[in-house]
Amino acid sequence: MDAAAPFPAVAPALETRGLVKDFPVGLRGMKLRAVDHLDLTVPAGVIYGLLGPNGSGKSTTIKALLGLVAPSAGECRVFGVPSPRVEARRAVGYLPESPYFYRHLTGRELVRFYARMGGVSRREVDGRSDEALAAVGLRDAADRRVGTYSKGMLQRVGLAQAMVHDPQLLILDEPTAGVDPLGAAAIGELILRLKARGKTVVITSHLLGQIEDVCDRIAILDRGRLVLEGAVGDLVGRKDRQALVVEALPESELAELKAWLAARGRVLEAVETPRARLDRIFLDRIGRRDGAEEERA
Amino acid sequence: MNRVPFSPLRTWLIAQNTLLEAVRQRLFHFIVFLALALVLGARWLRDFNFGAPELKFLADCGFGAMTFFGAALTITATAQLFFSEIENRTALTLLAKPVWRAEFVAGKYLGTVLLAGGFCALLTGLLMAVLWVREGELMAEFPETFTAGRTVSYGMVALAGAFQWLKLAVLAAFGLLVASYAQTQLFAMASGFFVLVICHLQYLAQEAYARAGSLAGELAGRLLAGLVPNFQVFAVADSLLAEDFPGGGAVARVALYGAGYAAVALGLAIYCFRHREI
Repeated sequence: MDAAAPFPAVAPALETRGLVKDFPVGLRGMKLRAVDHLDLTVPAGVIYGLLGPNGSGKSTTIKALLGLVAPSAGECRVFGVPSPRVEARRAVGYLPESPYFYRHLTGRELVRFYARMGGVSRREVDGRSDEALAAVGLRDAADRRVGTYSKGMLQRVGLAQAMVHDPQLLILDEPTAGVDPLGAAAIGELILRLKARGKTVVITSHLLGQIEDVCDRIAILDRGRLVLEGAVGDLVGRKDRQALVVEALPESELAELKAWLAARGRVLEAVETPRARLDRIFLDRIGRRDGAEEERA
Repeated sequence: MNRVPFSPLRTWLIAQNTLLEAVRQRLFHFIVFLALALVLGARWLRDFNFGAPELKFLADCGFGAMTFFGAALTITATAQLFFSEIENRTALTLLAKPVWRAEFVAGKYLGTVLLAGGFCALLTGLLMAVLWVREGELMAEFPETFTAGRTVSYGMVALAGAFQWLKLAVLAAFGLLVASYAQTQLFAMASGFFVLVICHLQYLAQEAYARAGSLAGELAGRLLAGLVPNFQVFAVADSLLAEDFPGGGAVARVALYGAGYAAVALGLAIYCFRHREI
């Protein structure tokens, strides 16, 4: 079985058309609509963020795309293949939200198991598993039982199992939940590396800053409906405004600048002190300390 | 689009993982330990032999341990190993791979059957060793009773162990059928024990219906006999004597009877699980 078998090149990585998912609640035939007529297209080769508050239908949409729940109406396709078909999952790697893996296996055994299930041959399985474990920084803990892993390590071994069979599409449900900022940054870098290799990555996350940093496009869901979709640059950028960063100006020069702009019919709307992002400061300090410790070791 | 066919390899990998999960759990170690202790300790319980010959009593103890602890092991393993996949959401990750649900259910079943097989083989081997040693001691003590050599047929003991395994395989299939649609592990386990009791006692119900002499009773008896396997069928090799060997035809009929029920229950379990939302 070829894990990365070709799909039609023109087909989008993911597609839903009129997707509806109702869950029965109570005994009177009442239903809760988790996904409401969702039309979504994820082009191949992009990093796509699926955003929304809790209960907005993100995880249900993903489960429908993976054929784990049956749509009440509408259809889902993965690289043009209808989701209920097993073939649709051939080119997919999936990291579920709050992953929980077989505690009785070691990290290496776990990744090897999922590699074989994903179609990696016996001859290749050791090399692929080692590569995947190294990519997520778990090589040193690979022979420990998964039951002893921290939450962050579980996320990382989950990522390793999702990508071990080299799928064209990775669906990562909250990949940085419970991971410290260093780990989250490493996962962000890994996602960018996957994109550079031509993979499509779909991420759901509550960490909007991280989504903004890595995603090409986003969709925002609310109560199962699509409320916004587009390229991140188009959605967050304002093309009618510019920010100029200069050395701190004394009051007199600032007044001169305002007068100069006013003479040209322009208005200086805001004068602010640029702020460094807290995650960048954290990564800079902790990353530097860890680097120095590694050098000493 | 290339089809993904049903894969015996993936089924085998799931079975291996299921078996490994079971043998690395303390609960299963405990059940196996209790069963082994009962077989080993049977010779010190021979005062409670209810008049049966000593070697027969030892064998009954061994097969009793196999039936009781084997059923507990099978029912617990089937429900626990299946539900842990659903409740811990490991099934999500597994079924998000190109894996047929039939492979998942069949793999879980095969893993449980292998576990039961290992258990039966271990206990049968131990029972044979206990019988061999005790028979040797009795031969030395009472040579006049053993003028024709050893009396125990160890082939019969092995056959009885194999039938115990077959019985547990049928029980596992029914347990999996319940687990495939049950919403809680407790319900699946309770139902498993319920099935065990019905299967062991259904012949009594059939006899009672037959004695009643009414058409409705006869129909109810036949319906029960068709729906539920009769576990007494697997007791054909409980004798220790070679001359009681039931014959190849009878052995094949029992094997087909067990395999048939297991296949139907497993097929229904796969059908139920195909439509289950994870």
